[in-house]
Amino acid sequence: MEFNRRAFLKSSALAGVAVGLPVLNTAFFVDPAHAADGKALNFMSAENLTGNWDPSSHTTLAQINLESFVFGYLTRAPMRPDNPDELVMELATEMKLIDEHTLEFKLREGVTFHDGKPFTAEDVKATFEYASQPDRPAAWYPGTCEVEVVSDHVARIKTDKGGYPASLFWFLSAFLPIMSAKDVADPKTLSARPNGTGAFKFVRQDGNTTVLEAFDGFYLGKPTLPGINFNFVGDATTRTLALLNGEADLIERLEAEQVQSIEEAGGFKLNKAVSVENKYLWFRCSKAPFNDPRLRKAAAHAIDRTVLLDILGVSGHASKAWISPVKFGYVDTPNYPEFDPEECQRLLAEAGFPKGEGLPELEYITSVGFYPKTKEYGEVIAAMLQEQGFPVKLNVMEVAAWNERLYDRPGGGPGHMIDCGWSTGSPEPDLVLRTHFHSSSKRICGIEDKDLDAVLDKERNTLDPAARKAVIQNEVMPMLAEKVPSLSLFTSVFIHAMRNGLDGMYFYPNGMMDANKATLA
Amino acid sequence: MFVLSFLLRRLLQGSLIILLVTFIIFTLLRVVPGDPARLIVGGMAPDEVVAMKAKELGLDRPIPVQFVSYLGTLATGDLGTSFVRPKSGASLGGAAFDDQTREERAKVLDLILATLPMTLQLAMVALVIALLVAVPLGTAGGLYPGRWPDKLALALGSLCVSTPNFWLGIVLTLFLSVKLKFLPAIGYRGFSYTILPAIVLAVEIVPFILRTLTVSVAQVMREEFIQLAPIRGLSRSRTIFSHALGNSAIPLINLLGVQLGMLLGGVLVIEFIFDYPGLGLLTINAVLQRDFPLIQGIAIFISVMFVAINILVDLIAMTIDPRLEY
Repeated sequence: MEFNRRAFLKSSALAGVAVGLPVLNTAFFVDPAHAADGKALNFMSAENLTGNWDPSSHTTLAQINLESFVFGYLTRAPMRPDNPDELVMELATEMKLIDEHTLEFKLREGVTFHDGKPFTAEDVKATFEYASQPDRPAAWYPGTCEVEVVSDHVARIKTDKGGYPASLFWFLSAFLPIMSAKDVADPKTLSARPNGTGAFKFVRQDGNTTVLEAFDGFYLGKPTLPGINFNFVGDATTRTLALLNGEADLIERLEAEQVQSIEEAGGFKLNKAVSVENKYLWFRCSKAPFNDPRLRKAAAHAIDRTVLLDILGVSGHASKAWISPVKFGYVDTPNYPEFDPEECQRLLAEAGFPKGEGLPELEYITSVGFYPKTKEYGEVIAAMLQEQGFPVKLNVMEVAAWNERLYDRPGGGPGHMIDCGWSTGSPEPDLVLRTHFHSSSKRICGIEDKDLDAVLDKERNTLDPAARKAVIQNEVMPMLAEKVPSLSLFTSVFIHAMRNGLDGMYFYPNGMMDANKATLA
Repeated sequence: MFVLSFLLRRLLQGSLIILLVTFIIFTLLRVVPGDPARLIVGGMAPDEVVAMKAKELGLDRPIPVQFVSYLGTLATGDLGTSFVRPKSGASLGGAAFDDQTREERAKVLDLILATLPMTLQLAMVALVIALLVAVPLGTAGGLYPGRWPDKLALALGSLCVSTPNFWLGIVLTLFLSVKLKFLPAIGYRGFSYTILPAIVLAVEIVPFILRTLTVSVAQVMREEFIQLAPIRGLSRSRTIFSHALGNSAIPLINLLGVQLGMLLGGVLVIEFIFDYPGLGLLTINAVLQRDFPLIQGIAIFISVMFVAINILVDLIAMTIDPRLEY
């Protein structure tokens, strides 16, 4: 074909017109994106999912939030600060401690899974016996257990072989999604799609959007909302803009400045709640120099936590314990290590490092992008520690790199200190205390301490709830204040923002949600 | 015949460039912090599981050995399999080490091909917007050097070049989408979601087209064949449209080839801000998640595109002006 400049100009002009034609269609210009009546709820999540729908395969908060729509739980724990111990029955109608190692659940009748299979005690048995295996990564269970199926709708959790009291499942029952026995028998299917008894069923994964639709057979009746689009949008500014322009109906994890913009814009409402998540400064206790508790305590005394709260604004709540105020057993620990430079210097000198002299360079790892203001308060903590003589180097990483360095390893986890929060949707305190401070788990700090083990075992094995609470408040917390495997910096305040037309949502203090009574006008 | 030898020469040069880019990216990704084996198996996995996974993936071999075996699979057109993304293309993180669905991971090429049309659409719309603004103004600037069209072109170019795209993206969304409800933004549910990000991208391209066109039109207008056009009895408009513009287009076409790199750089930020599901967002998430095969695949794919477009641009420029030699 002859190709001269005239032909080139002509064809490029034609191509321009062809591409430009749709732009000239005025319908495109009057297309304000607004969710209207009868449309699915658009939720924007700050974190991504794992790609494995087996609830026992991960500890990822976003997926736990999504599971709260799809799966059913034996009970639910609203965890209101004025009544943190309250449990609301869901798949169970009654629970009773038969003896030290047996907890009986009477189960609701007439409940079905999204694939149509009726819910029975066999599903509880399959779920508990599978997810409590020590090789399940989520490790929310205190140990292995067995389940006796008394009848179709009565199941008994037995913990005698696991060697721990069955009462631990009292609060945990609100945090363990119930899977179908049929799925548990077929791990491939279990991982490939979520199948629960919740108000919304999984339809498909569409890029970064998980599409859920209202489940006709939900035992409380089909929800009013026709569906939920669960989108991952990593950037907080983008999430805020999406709410403001109507793309999103509900967003999470906001910072103070964004809260202000949303409040000023009008037409939106906020849900601020003291969460179940504490943010900690974790010391790597299994390697030098923080294998010396005096140094950990000295570092804790170097930090003025009131400054951190000033930086966080609405996103932080003062903390004086290793669990959140909405957890069972919270107490303002009397000997909590407060800002005290003199005590810090005394401990430094006692540990053989007067004014920090002789200490190696200490790496403090933090993340940016997920938790609010981590870099900002990380810099302040580093400066406070440096002022007392700790040669701290702050290492700010994006979430994936930080996540890779988070957990303890043989010989100690990377760096010397690391920033991380811990959020679990149950009032059960051992999801934090035992997970992190007992030598059998020691997830991040890597502490191995016989005294701590003993007091944590005592707390776990105390059957009477009031007596157990007393052990936590009078023995566990004071000992943690002495050993300081980590310093609880503050309790996070979870902020959800939504359109004024969205009513009836319930937000649990760990970020889980209940939308079965929600309406969107 | 000349075209054939030209193509052969340029394709050989291009292959060398692609090989070099592949090697650099491959090596860089293996020396930066972030162990892919640990990433796949998850933070909680024991060290022996990490070592086993590294062995399984061949990550324990020396880099040159890994590179040669990578080239082998690359030669079959296989860009590898994403470490973290399943076939649905979702953005993932925090997966467990005994993930049963691992073999269901998506092919890198599929992920790229699924998002590429979105980015091409964005780039095309941006280019059209940029040309619509810059061609008339740039031509006018070149025709009247030193006078107001030239000054306006310079002022607009300076304004555009000094406006950061992430800032403009947020401000435009606030005004055009949030306040005026004129255009949708954030995500993608139809063609209209392309317009706002395309405007931001166009603002990045406009100054370069403006500057090139102003200078090149002014230069061509001083050429003898234009100066002598009135003597040949040609009207001014005929001279401009039939003779001056065609010749001024050559540097512009060359520039557009080079601009592709900038366009791709621009879409990274813009797609992230607008949550626009194109190649840019895929790249950013791949980097954030240390998804090495995906980063590698995208880099190689982009370098191939870059080389191909530059060859095409040279070919077109040569067709317009056969005196050009490459």
